[in-house]
Amino acid sequence: MSTLKIGTYENRTAFRPGAEIAGKVLWILDESAKAVEVRLFWYTEGKGTQDVELVDSVRFDDPPRREQREFRFTAPEGPYSFSGKLISLLWALELVVLPSEETERLEIVVSPSGHEVFLHKGEEIEITDESAGQPL
Amino acid sequence: MRARDNPFRTERVHQVRYRLLDGTWGEVMRRLRELDYRAAIVGPDGSGKTTLLEDLAPRLAKLGFTTRSLFLNDRKRTLGPTERGEFFARLGANDVILFDGADLMGRLAWARFKRRTRGAAGLIVTSHRSGLLPTLIECRTTPELLDDIVVQILGDGAGLGELPHRLFEKHQGNLRDALRELYDMYSATAPATDAR
Repeated sequence: MSTLKIGTYENRTAFRPGAEIAGKVLWILDESAKAVEVRLFWYTEGKGTQDVELVDSVRFDDPPRREQREFRFTAPEGPYSFSGKLISLLWALELVVLPSEETERLEIVVSPSGHEVFLHKGEEIEITDESAGQPL
Repeated sequence: MRARDNPFRTERVHQVRYRLLDGTWGEVMRRLRELDYRAAIVGPDGSGKTTLLEDLAPRLAKLGFTTRSLFLNDRKRTLGPTERGEFFARLGANDVILFDGADLMGRLAWARFKRRTRGAAGLIVTSHRSGLLPTLIECRTTPELLDDIVVQILGDGAGLGELPHRLFEKHQGNLRDALRELYDMYSATAPATDAR
């Protein structure tokens, strides 16, 4: 099994819309690959059909078996990370080896507060803990 | 409870794969070969037809086939001209078509579809009724099966007593609906913020 690592600078996992999402990926591949991709995407979990949307990606073709590379994305304006009782929307960074599809994932939060937005009774949007003090 | 923490969220339930109540996978694949890879998986709603169809795909791939998937459901009751055109344009002699919900096609459309897929290596469909193709398996469920699935999802020793049996009866064996009700029950256990 290949070794795959993905990390953000200062281990940040919360990003305001428009903020830079940057970090490094490392791979040590068991066998040669066609490409390695870093993906920024969101997906849903909960009751019903899952939605997934790839928002940005960077691709490294014909990668060496062992390498460390930087990646840099801009956090989009939305959708925000949120959770209700019926659905959660989660953001993640993923390092994917192609064509084997070996994957390493890092979950992140995209929201104005740096925290997941919770939908409460009546599914009204409430942004919690606005001043949580996390440097964003 | 947050949707992402609900043990009965769709993504978690989808990790539960089809369990054969009768026979073995070897027997299923042997019968499929005898039927020349043209067969139907038949059963009522929530009996595991789609899951079984999905679980055939890697087994067919191991035999060297390429699988091509199509589906119809209540929200998508026909194959659009673009989808149909692209599908047939790329259909090869090594392809086995996995068609979920084939019984939603009209009779004439189904007859045409069957004719146009003659050149493919196989056509396996799911259907609520028998008759579209020779039956490979009739899917059925039992209260014990629902019990086993609940234990698999919640972990060993975390059964829910008689509840799965009651839900099985309430939903007349439809495991999908029973598991959705369990989702609702769990989602009501605590406010979303408690899970933070």
